[in-house]
Parts: sequence; structure tokens; C-alpha cells
Amino acid sequence: MQTRLHKNKSLLAMIMLICAIMLMTACGTTSKDEPASTESNASTDTTTTPAADNASNGSDTSAATPAAETVEDLYAKAKEGGKLIVYSTSGRANDAAETFMKQYPGIEVEVSKVKSDEMMDKVTKEQDAGQFNPDVILTKEVSGAVYEEMVKQGRYIKYLPEEFAEVVDEPYRTQAEAYANYVEFRTIFYNTSTYSQAPVTNWWDLTTPAFKGKVYTADPLSSPAFMDLFTTMVINSDDMAAAYKAKFGTDIELHGTDNAGYEFIKQLFDNGLIVLKGSDDVLDAIGKASSEAVGLAVSGDVSKNEENGWTIAPILDIQPKTSVPDSGYLFIANKAPHEAAAKLFIRWMMGEKDGTGAGMEPFNKLGSWVPRSDVKTKNDVAFESLNLWLFDGEKLYNTAPQVRDFWIKHNS
Amino acid sequence: MTNRMYNWLRNPVHLIGIAALFLLSYTIIWPVMRIVSTTFFWRQQDTRLTAEADPGHFTLYHWERVLASDMSYSLFYKPIMHSLSVGFAVSALSMVLGCGLAWLVVRTNMPLKKTITFLAVIPYLLPSWILSQAWLTFFKNGKIGGTPGIMQSLFHISLPDSISYGFVPIVITMSIHDSVFFFLLVGAALSSMNSQLEEAASVTGAPRLTILRRIVFPLVMPSILSGFILIFTKAISSYGVPALLGAPVNFHMISTMLYSSMRSRLTTEANVLSLTLMLISMLTIYMNQRVIGRRRSFVTVTGKDSAKTLTPLGRWKHPVAIVTVVAMTLTALVPLLILLLQSFMLKEGNYSLSNLTMHYWTGGSDPGINTGEKGVLHNPIFKLALRNSLYIAGVAAVLAAVIGLVLGYVVTRSKQSWLGRAVDQVSFLPYLMPGISLAAIYISMFAKPTLFIPALYGTITLLIVITIVKELPFTVKAGSASMMQIGRELEEAAQIGGASWFTRFRRILLPLNRKSLVSAFLLVFISAMKEMELIILLVTPRTETLTTLTFYYAEKGYEQLTNVILMIIIAIVIVVYIFAVRFGKADLTQGIGGQ
Repeated sequence: MQTRLHKNKSLLAMIMLICAIMLMTACGTTSKDEPASTESNASTDTTTTPAADNASNGSDTSAATPAAETVEDLYAKAKEGGKLIVYSTSGRANDAAETFMKQYPGIEVEVSKVKSDEMMDKVTKEQDAGQFNPDVILTKEVSGAVYEEMVKQGRYIKYLPEEFAEVVDEPYRTQAEAYANYVEFRTIFYNTSTYSQAPVTNWWDLTTPAFKGKVYTADPLSSPAFMDLFTTMVINSDDMAAAYKAKFGTDIELHGTDNAGYEFIKQLFDNGLIVLKGSDDVLDAIGKASSEAVGLAVSGDVSKNEENGWTIAPILDIQPKTSVPDSGYLFIANKAPHEAAAKLFIRWMMGEKDGTGAGMEPFNKLGSWVPRSDVKTKNDVAFESLNLWLFDGEKLYNTAPQVRDFWIKHNS
Repeated sequence: MTNRMYNWLRNPVHLIGIAALFLLSYTIIWPVMRIVSTTFFWRQQDTRLTAEADPGHFTLYHWERVLASDMSYSLFYKPIMHSLSVGFAVSALSMVLGCGLAWLVVRTNMPLKKTITFLAVIPYLLPSWILSQAWLTFFKNGKIGGTPGIMQSLFHISLPDSISYGFVPIVITMSIHDSVFFFLLVGAALSSMNSQLEEAASVTGAPRLTILRRIVFPLVMPSILSGFILIFTKAISSYGVPALLGAPVNFHMISTMLYSSMRSRLTTEANVLSLTLMLISMLTIYMNQRVIGRRRSFVTVTGKDSAKTLTPLGRWKHPVAIVTVVAMTLTALVPLLILLLQSFMLKEGNYSLSNLTMHYWTGGSDPGINTGEKGVLHNPIFKLALRNSLYIAGVAAVLAAVIGLVLGYVVTRSKQSWLGRAVDQVSFLPYLMPGISLAAIYISMFAKPTLFIPALYGTITLLIVITIVKELPFTVKAGSASMMQIGRELEEAAQIGGASWFTRFRRILLPLNRKSLVSAFLLVFISAMKEMELIILLVTPRTETLTTLTFYYAEKGYEQLTNVILMIIIAIVIVVYIFAVRFGKADLTQGIGGQ
């Protein structure tokens, strides 16, 4: 009896296994992980794309090279379509959507808030499955991955209307992967009730005994945008070496590291850098009570000062460069079902042609810059005068993992 | 041959087992296989890591990098030691807390049982970061700056780093948060145990310790082991608490490393790390099966009614009750009330009466507050989000509880066969798959119709499906722990009487497992109302939920608005709890406590 049962068991196990494998391979053929080869199965775009819109998305390449389209044309076309879907990493898009719907009645906008890296996964999987849901993408970079994995693959498409281009500051006019509606960056914050002026003018100041155990940062392992700053220092290690010389008068001596960028990170650790979970934790640490400590946080956080009871200010000029931009890029999604409305909404967020539209207001804030020469910033320093490194997507993408490895090895 | 197979399949346990395994294959094994397969192939992304990368081809690089490279120590071995030690410590501490409480409530004559049982659920209602935040408020030292900790400012004691951050607080806060699982599982087992067994032993002269060791302990053993594995798995896979409390002292666990890999878009590395977690917990389950499998199983629920006598606590009766209530009020009620108060405070940290406001609940747009954000009840998508949340949590919790019971039935009734073991093992994996990975795979799986399954992506159904799947580890464990105590003879009697399997299930098993069903329902309902990581990828504007709404508020730094939503969620859960007690005729306190 026992042995018979055993035979039975293995037979059944076999059958199960075969069934399971069949089941798996059946699905395996339909969904591949990598390429953007999105076969447009006619049967797939059922859920969100009204049939009427299919006509308008035939020309998805036109988004990249905008012809002269008037607002009126776009509005007329947009009204025919359904709801405009926006995927955004920032709630600023929600605020812009509210004024947009007042300005252009008849167009409804829905904003989904998603983190930048999750948005990449979501859009990739959707598009590979033949679902083209979002129209507008507002996203931050993830160490160049947005450029390498989304823009280059044609999943996110740059849109900068020609008539706007002349007033857009570089690098966002021609060099960057897209137009950024606002630019923030990671920089050093200090407590204004302790210091009457910025206590740090050179990044190497943080490695001196004056700041031993007094430097905080949000964890770059869980917030890649913080790692991007350190990675940029590694990429531009010559700048870091020059700044070292300017500060200490001698050439930099490397202690088992590859270049001045890594050496800076190492010396930060040796000087007792304290890692906290997030940007808010850092600002709580230095801004709540009077404190001599300084910390790395996002420039835009300065606008939360009053609400959180902080007395903090960002430093806007540090040698060799203050920081690397963290840009809120605007894209049109590949095969956007409501392309006209998408363009109209992007124009609205950009502040329209003359840069005075209310759609821009959520983006033009303390600590965040709109890179348009005709828009007056709320900050003391204009965007062109900010001393920033270039965000080099390709280099960052390929260097970031090494810097992360270095960080993990030396700080855990 | 075919005949024998036919007979084998005629056994409803086998039939259901096979059906379940099919379902689990699609919803769990298949996603896991996809995760496994990514770890053996180069992807385009990997060119970032090494020039050797050859997209599409086989490689062992990813496993080597994690397990045997110069990175391994910092990336894997050190974090895994932390994960394991936290996992075991949290399980042990929760066991002491949960079992102790369950024993007091179920087996003694302690007063205030209803209050205590109610309080026991509250820590789980709160997001786990709240307890960690509370810990920091009390015990942080000068290291992380800001407002000094209460210990420091009141008593001028600067605690060492090892108390303020890292291992100790992580273990303590997680244990307080999760010990409710032990309480409910072990409590249910204790309450269905016939106290005549103890009395019989006591009559024959066995000392109390012997009774505990030889009778009580073996009987609740399956529940304790289930609880142990559940908590262990939850602990090694949780991210929020270790991230907050571990960061200042560079205390990394596999879960925090995994989160980092994911956010840095090193997806394959994240997959390897989560697979190691899965392997570990499969190993634990295997050992558990060995332990339980070797024992005779003890049936405590028979057709006969059982009398219950409670252990008198004597003069300790009141002190014990007071200490318990005070401790639970401090860990549960106080944080809850502080949150509630904060949702009415215009400015944070200002405790004057004039600072109280309804603005964050019902206020209109005021440009001076939160840049004009309206109160939660005026948020245009609040109603939709509320309806979605209730629908998802309600449907998912009912289905998950029943499915858990059915699968638990398969697991216990075919405990010795491969079928039961397979269901047991497989149903456990979802806790260890990072919610984001599972969701990402589900997008591709359900974006277009496959076989007979329609395209579910973008619908609420998919959110319900993934919630049920993610909660399977708990519901199946609860189901099998409770099934294990129910004798076959009841079913056999009904079978002889001509009842079909379905009738037997409905008329015998469901009623007898009511307590466990209700607690499973309640815990799944709570988790579903709180769930965020899991569904954030699958949510579309039409399927927005209360938690995705908090995500928007939190990003903007609108702390009070987040608290308002949290309060609404908690209020809903409390109402549901009361309803379950009233109309489900399955009072948790009564169920566990006996009258």
C-alpha cells in the first residue's frame, strides 16, 4: 500500500510539474522583460483608450519635433479626447492640474503620484503589455536611469515647443534629456540661529575637525538622488582635487582611494558623518534646536521651514561646485492617448509662452528654480548664476553602482 | 492506474489541494520563477556593474557578487547576520509578550479581559514607524541632534548608542507591533483547549509545571510555531523600522539593502537578496514541518462540549490586570491619542487650546495653511478613495480568511503528503517577496487577458487579488493552526450521514473555526487598509485608496493631513471590529477569553 501510494505520488508530481511548466511557458511568450518592442496587439488597448483617440496618437514622433501648434488648435483637439492622465513624482502637478482645469474647461486631468523608479517599472511593464495609459510624465532622474532606460528607448519623449525654446536656460534647451520645469539640488543646510552666514564655502570644510561628528546626510543608499551628488564628485574628481588645493594649499594625498571624489567620501566617513533616514530627519537634527551641525538636504525643503519649526537655510555657493541639479523633467509618454491635451498641459505647467501662466506657480518656489530666463525666481540667486555641475546621465548611470559599492563597503 | 488516480482525486482534500496548487502556481510560483530566472541572466542594466555583461546570456555573476565577492561581507553576510538575529529576537520577545497575554486573558480569572483584548490589537493598527518615532522621542541621545530625547532632557542621562539605535530598539518596537499575531493565534488555540485535560492531570497529582510542560505546551505548540515563523518572516522582511532606527549606527539588514538596490535600480541584486530571504524562511518552515510532523497531533475540538475552569490568580488578580492595562495603554493608547490630538493642531508642537482646529478635517482652502490644501473631507478624491479602500479591504479580508481556512484544511488533512507540504511552503512565500517586485510582475501578468483570466490591470479586482495573495502566509497559518485542533470524526460522522463536502465545510468546519476566521478577517482588513508598498504600482487614478492619498500628503510634508487619514482608517477598523463582535457572533474577547 505504501509503495503504491508512492508511485502515485511521483506520477502526480510529474503531472503537476508538467502542467505548471506549460502554464508558465504559455505566459512566458507573451511578456518579455527587456525591449521596447511593443507589438501593438489590437485587442489589448481596451481599458483606457477610447477608440476615437487612436487617430491622434498615430504620429507619436511628432512630439519630439513640435511643429508650430497654436494653443487654440490643441485645446480644440484636447476637448474631443477623454481624461488626461499624468504620472508625477511631485504633488506640484496636482496643483497645476487644478488651475489648468479652470483655464481649459472641458478637459479633465487625473494625476497619479508615483516615485521615479517605480514609475519606470510601471510604464515599462504597461507599455510592454500594450497598454498606453499615461499622457504626461513629470519625473526626477534616478542616476541617469530615466535617460538610459526610458528616454533612449523612446518610452518617455521630450517635448519643448519651439516658440518656448529661446527663453529656456541651458542645459535644458538643447543639452539635457528634456525640459525641466523646476530644478532643485542637494546642498548643505545650516541653522540660521547659530550662524549669521554660511559656515561652509568649500566641500572640504566638512572634513575638518570643526565639523567632526557634526555632518548629517540622508541615506544615499535609499535615496539615489543623494548618491548622485557624491557620484558627480567622483566623476568630476579633478574639480574636487583643485578645491582641496585651494582650501589646504597642498596637493591632495589619496589614502587607498582612486581619486579625489572617493577620497572626499572617505574623509567624510572618517570625520564621523552621521546617516539618517531621510531629508526631513536631517533638517530636524540641525534645525529644531540651536545647533552647530550642518546637513545635506534638498534645496526645496527650505520652503517647509515655517511649517516644521526649523530655522535653516541652504548654502547656494560652495567650492568647487555647489551641487548637481535634480531636475523635474517633463515628458510626453510614448503613444500618449491624449497627445493634444498632454501638450496643452505641459505648456500650462511651463507658464505658457510669456512665462506668467498660473500653471507655473507651484514650481517657482523658494529652493526650486524655473530654468527660464524670462521668469523671475523667488530665490536670492538666479538660475544662471548657480554654480552647478552638469548632470551627465550616461556617466552617472555607469558610475553610480561603483560609488554605491564604495559607500556600502566603507560605511557599514 | 487511472482508477487509482480517480480514487485519489475523489478525496475532496486532494481535489481542493490540486486546485489550490494550480492557483498558487500562477499567483506565486510563477512570479518567483521569474524572479529566479532574472538572477541567472545578464540584463541591459548590468553593463553598469561590469564590462563583462552580455545581455540575454546566462551568468552566475549576480550570485557571485552577493555571495562570494569583495562586496559580499558588507552587502550580504553582515546584513544577513543582523536580519537573522533581529528575526529570532523579535520572534522570541513577541512570543513571551503574546503568549503571556493570551494565557492571562484565556486561562486566568484576570478582570478587564475585554478591554485588554481590544487594546492588544491597537499597536498593530498603528503604522510601525510610530513606535520607532516614539522610541526616539524618549530614548535618543545627542548623536542625531534635534530636540533632545526625554530621558536626556529630564534625567540628564545620555544613553549609549546601542540603546538608542540599532538592534535593541528595532527588536523592541517590532515585537510590540507584531506580538498581536502571537496573541491571537495562541489565544485561539488555548481557548479551544478543554481544561478537563489539565484537571485530569492535576487530579492524578501532576505538579503545575509538569501540566504546563506535558499538556498545555504540546497542545499550543503548532500555534506557537506558526506564530514564530510568521513573526520571524515579517521581521526579516520589514523595512521602515530598521531604516529609521538602524541608519544612525549603520545597522543594515537584508531588507534595507534590498530596498536600496531597488531604489538604485539594481533590480537583479534586489532579486538575489529577496531570494536569499525566501530560502531562509523555507528552511524554517521545513524544520517546522519536521517538528510538527513527528508529533502526534492533538485534537482538542471534538463534538463534545468542554467545560472551562480558569486558573485563579489569587491576590495577584488585580495587580496583574493593572500592570497589563497600564503597559498597554502606554504602548498603544497614548501614541494613538497623541496622533488624534495632532490632527486637530494647527501648528505642530503648540499645545495651547487656541491652536486646536478642525481645519485639517473639514476646512476649506486657506492659502496660509499647507499652501491652500483643503481639509481631508473636502479633498475631491477622498470619497472615491474611501470607497475603494473599504471595498478592497472588505472583500479581500473575507476572501482571504476563507481561502486561508480552506488551504489550512488541505495543509492539515494531508500533512504527511507532498501536497499538504507544498501548499504550506508555497503559501508562505508572499511575505518575502518585496511588494514592489510582486506588483511589477503582476502588471505584466494581468495587463492583457491570459487563458481565461481577463485583463485585470487597472481594476480593483487586481488590487484585491494581490492583497489576498500577500496575506496568504498569515491566513493559511491561522487556518491550519485552527484546523489542526478539529477532529476528523465530526466530518466522518457527517459523511456517513450523507453530507457532501461542501455541506460539511459550511455546517461543521466554518462554525467551529469562527474565531480564527474572524481574527484572520480582522488582521487582513487592517493590513489591507494600511497597505501601500504593494498596491502603489497597481493603482490608477480610478483605483486610488486612502493610503495612496497619504502618500501624496506625506510627500508634500502635510503631516496633519496624513494623521487625519490615519485616524479615519483606525476609526473604520474599530467600527468593523465592533460589528464583527456584534453580528459575527464571534467576539474575539469571548472567543479567546471564554465567559
